Amino acid sequence: METVVLLALLGSALRATTPLLFAALGGMFSERSGVVNIALEGIIIFGALAAALVTYFVELPAITQNPGASVWYAPWIGVLAAMLVGAGVGWIHAVVSIRYKADQIISGVAINLMAIGVPAVVLTGLFGNSATSATITNRLPRWGEGAFQFSPLVYLAFLLVPLTWYVLFRTPFGLRLRAVGEHPEAADSVGISVTRMRYAGVMLSGVFAGLGGAYLSIGGFNQFITEMSGGRGFIALAALIFGKWHPLGVLGATLLFGAFQALETQLGGGQLLPPTVVQSLPFILTMLVLAGFVGRSVAPKAIGKPFEKG
Amino acid sequence: MSERLAVAAFALVTLVALWVAPWAAFSRETGSRAAVILLPDRVIDFTGRTDPISVPGQGAVLWLSVAGLVVVAGGAALSGRARHVAWLAAGALLIGTATWGLAQFDAAVEARRAVAFQEAIAPNIADPRPNQDAERLRQLSEEALERPVTVSVELAREAGVVVRRLPYGGSAPGFAAFLTLVVGAAALLFGLRVWPRAGRVLDRVLTAVAIPAVSIALALLAAAVVILLLQPTPVGRDVVVAGPLMALAGRLDTLWHAYYILFSGSLGTVKGFFDALSFATPLIFTGLAVGFGFRAGLFNIGAPGQMVLGAIGAMFVGLYLPGPAWVVLPAAVLVAAVGGGLWGAIPGFLKARFGANEVINTILLNFVAASLMLFMLSSSPTFAASAVRVIQLIAWVVAASLVGLLVPPVRRAMRISPRLTLALVAVIALVGAVVVAQPRAGDQPVVLQLPFKAPGSEPKSYELSEAARIPRLPAMFGIDLRATPGTNVVPVDAAAWIAGLLAVLVFVGAGAVGALRRRGFQGRILAALGVAAVAYATLAAVGWRALPLAIPPTNLNPSFLIALAAAVFVWVFLFRTRYGYELRATGLAPKAAEYGGANIPRNTVMAMAISGALAGLTATHYVLGGALEDYALRQSLPTGDGFDGIAVALLGANHPVGTVLAAFLFGVLKNGGSAMNIAFTDLTRDVVSMVLALVVLFIAAKGFLPDWLTNPLRRAQALGDLPEEPAGGTPPGGGTAGGEAPVIAPQVAASQEDR
Repeated sequence: METVVLLALLGSALRATTPLLFAALGGMFSERSGVVNIALEGIIIFGALAAALVTYFVELPAITQNPGASVWYAPWIGVLAAMLVGAGVGWIHAVVSIRYKADQIISGVAINLMAIGVPAVVLTGLFGNSATSATITNRLPRWGEGAFQFSPLVYLAFLLVPLTWYVLFRTPFGLRLRAVGEHPEAADSVGISVTRMRYAGVMLSGVFAGLGGAYLSIGGFNQFITEMSGGRGFIALAALIFGKWHPLGVLGATLLFGAFQALETQLGGGQLLPPTVVQSLPFILTMLVLAGFVGRSVAPKAIGKPFEKG
Repeated sequence: MSERLAVAAFALVTLVALWVAPWAAFSRETGSRAAVILLPDRVIDFTGRTDPISVPGQGAVLWLSVAGLVVVAGGAALSGRARHVAWLAAGALLIGTATWGLAQFDAAVEARRAVAFQEAIAPNIADPRPNQDAERLRQLSEEALERPVTVSVELAREAGVVVRRLPYGGSAPGFAAFLTLVVGAAALLFGLRVWPRAGRVLDRVLTAVAIPAVSIALALLAAAVVILLLQPTPVGRDVVVAGPLMALAGRLDTLWHAYYILFSGSLGTVKGFFDALSFATPLIFTGLAVGFGFRAGLFNIGAPGQMVLGAIGAMFVGLYLPGPAWVVLPAAVLVAAVGGGLWGAIPGFLKARFGANEVINTILLNFVAASLMLFMLSSSPTFAASAVRVIQLIAWVVAASLVGLLVPPVRRAMRISPRLTLALVAVIALVGAVVVAQPRAGDQPVVLQLPFKAPGSEPKSYELSEAARIPRLPAMFGIDLRATPGTNVVPVDAAAWIAGLLAVLVFVGAGAVGALRRRGFQGRILAALGVAAVAYATLAAVGWRALPLAIPPTNLNPSFLIALAAAVFVWVFLFRTRYGYELRATGLAPKAAEYGGANIPRNTVMAMAISGALAGLTATHYVLGGALEDYALRQSLPTGDGFDGIAVALLGANHPVGTVLAAFLFGVLKNGGSAMNIAFTDLTRDVVSMVLALVVLFIAAKGFLPDWLTNPLRRAQALGDLPEEPAGGTPPGGGTAGGEAPVIAPQVAASQEDR
């Protein structure tokens, strides 16, 4: 195959990996602290919505005076908004599942259901249609050369891999987070606040997943569309398990999924396989992996269990 | 105590509402503008073209309502029997007053419309055109007050005059009247405690519905904020909202009408009711599916995928199985269940055999199923020749491995080191794949033409054979909606239907009555047949063999009955069989159940298979029942119903009866969402899906409700059924989650650790 095609494929694989990587790294913080976060999907959607809306309204005054005006800071404020909204939605998940000890999966499902209805309602209120937001003029910039021109968020996502590794395995915070997820009673007995650590983990996961959403709406595209996430939150969750709750494993797993997604777009013309077949391959592969054919994946011990302070 | 506070507070709020909220509305136009009436006789017109209307007796309604509310609020301060008697009396007074007042209002509006009708046809009476019957019109005008205006309009059309639009249409109760009725009903209900026995029943009902009811109320309250934010008060062109009272009344009317629209269509009209049932049908299936899984301690998020496989199975039978309907239809239903069941059994097996978490696997299988359906319905999937060779190779390798497993030495090797064997096979397959994938001369891409795919780019299959179709309700009565759209009035043999229903009721009922049960099976059948024969003869004598019934144009089909049958099956299976007992035991305490002899792996696979089969049965509605435009498999299959099923199961407390009721509520909301979309310019049906999500969230977080409401033990104490604990001690399980009402999936959380 020609180098150009390969490079393009690599580039689009990295782009497809980015939102998955954000969400999966975020999910890692949540699950390492002992809270299943199936709400990643919903948080991505809320993040994408927040980023698109805030960017639109920040650039609006300048755009009305001069269409095509460049407001460089608008998308960055959008990214910030996505992080905040992500943290907020994560907080809801945390309150329901930590404070009120609800089943964590049910709470996550509720947030995902909310991510279907709420964006449509907000969009109707603002733009009069329930499917898309208005297009924005100022997207995030692109840095790089040739086929490797990426949104800054792509670089950030890959930079976060060593960073999360350092935080999780080389800082007191990371140690406490893992302790809370493995053996909350022990952590509690040495004076670590299980509740606070779990809140931190879930809200951090919200921030990360929100970044993934922001990349979808204002990084790779110029508006918000309902169902924009297309199951990326769930795929990230699978990648998280596939990657054994470890940053490097997560990187590998998300790269695999990203590569398949890129292949699917590259083979979109149906040259080699029908795109639907390519689509389902990574899912089947993940199931085989989870079944232990490739090696077992051991979850944090206390995952899914509300902590009862004795 | 809190009961008294709540009722009193509610009565006081209603007192305020009587002053500021619309009591009734009339002249409701497209766009939801209306003129509203506040007690007494304060008309506020938001349409800009409605003359005020005067309704007699409003002063009396106001003062009687106020008196009733004051008694309710004041009665809360009384103790015991006195309070209950006061509430009974005041409740009856409030309901009576409001009903009477609304009837008066309706009559006044109707009378005013009759006058308008007279005015509308007056010119034609004075100066009739050739095709108009002046004598008949004069007669109609004189009798206008005696018959309903809609009938007069219809008769006038026969006499040659088309009356287009009459003012004052669309009269409906308002927010204040509704609140009055609710306070009255609440006072009556709690007043029933005069009789201790009724009080105990009331307590039991309240405990059962407290969490779902409070969650729904909170979700609707949250949605109210959204509705008020999105939708400005609809006003006519020249209307200026003057003063705070008018603004407030407008806001309250907007909110009230939004909710009124949400519920009135489904609960107030036959067509709406049937449509709501139609919306509810798939939700009953998916709700049962998820609830069944919960009972066994499994979280089945895979209902969307299982729906797809059920639909595919039903489509295959419907397209290819020849024969009469009584063979094809049951076979199609069965295959739909089997398709969903097999798809559900996969994650069950993976969990039982390898400990793989079912939540993530069912999610993954949802994606696979979606891809599968897309592949099957896409117009011409193309494979490169080398890809086909790779697929063939993989098929060969899989087949060879399966055969190899039958050979004892290979089996032994597999058992000693399964991973190495698998890795070996994988490496062989990989090398082989690389070899066969090399392009060869003369390679041609292979284009699949799937035989069931309907031609064209639309992702749908061919239509099913006639034998595999479940007719919709109108078609069952021989109505062709294309020939006669709208509501059709047809003669129906009501005598036969009622006699049949009675026979079933007698047969089932006799089983419950001890004296009759002893008569045995034959006696019951004889009794049932006898009652049916007598009923049929009596009804036939009064002419009910051809009773004219109005059949609305609805999508409802008998798959609704299959859904009810599925609910009965689930109930019997879970609560009346050994398997069901084992499943529930496994769900509540897996370790204990295993110790007690339950076969956990087998139960896991079986539970997931049954759960999947229930989800697959949605195909009876969407494919066999033709609920998606036509009788075909379409990619527009709303798999989101699978996720809504989670909400339904939660709301229904994983109990079949609760699930059916919850599904009906969701059906009402979904149906009402469409109506709301039409009635208001700025609201969308997605408000409804937001409400559903909030309901789930609130139910999940039931911990925010006060302990005495959610905890049966504490509740019994609060009600005085149990003695108070001596000071300093807490009741066992009273302070922790240990004694929670069994609403949320038991032990789903605990099953997380093994993924």
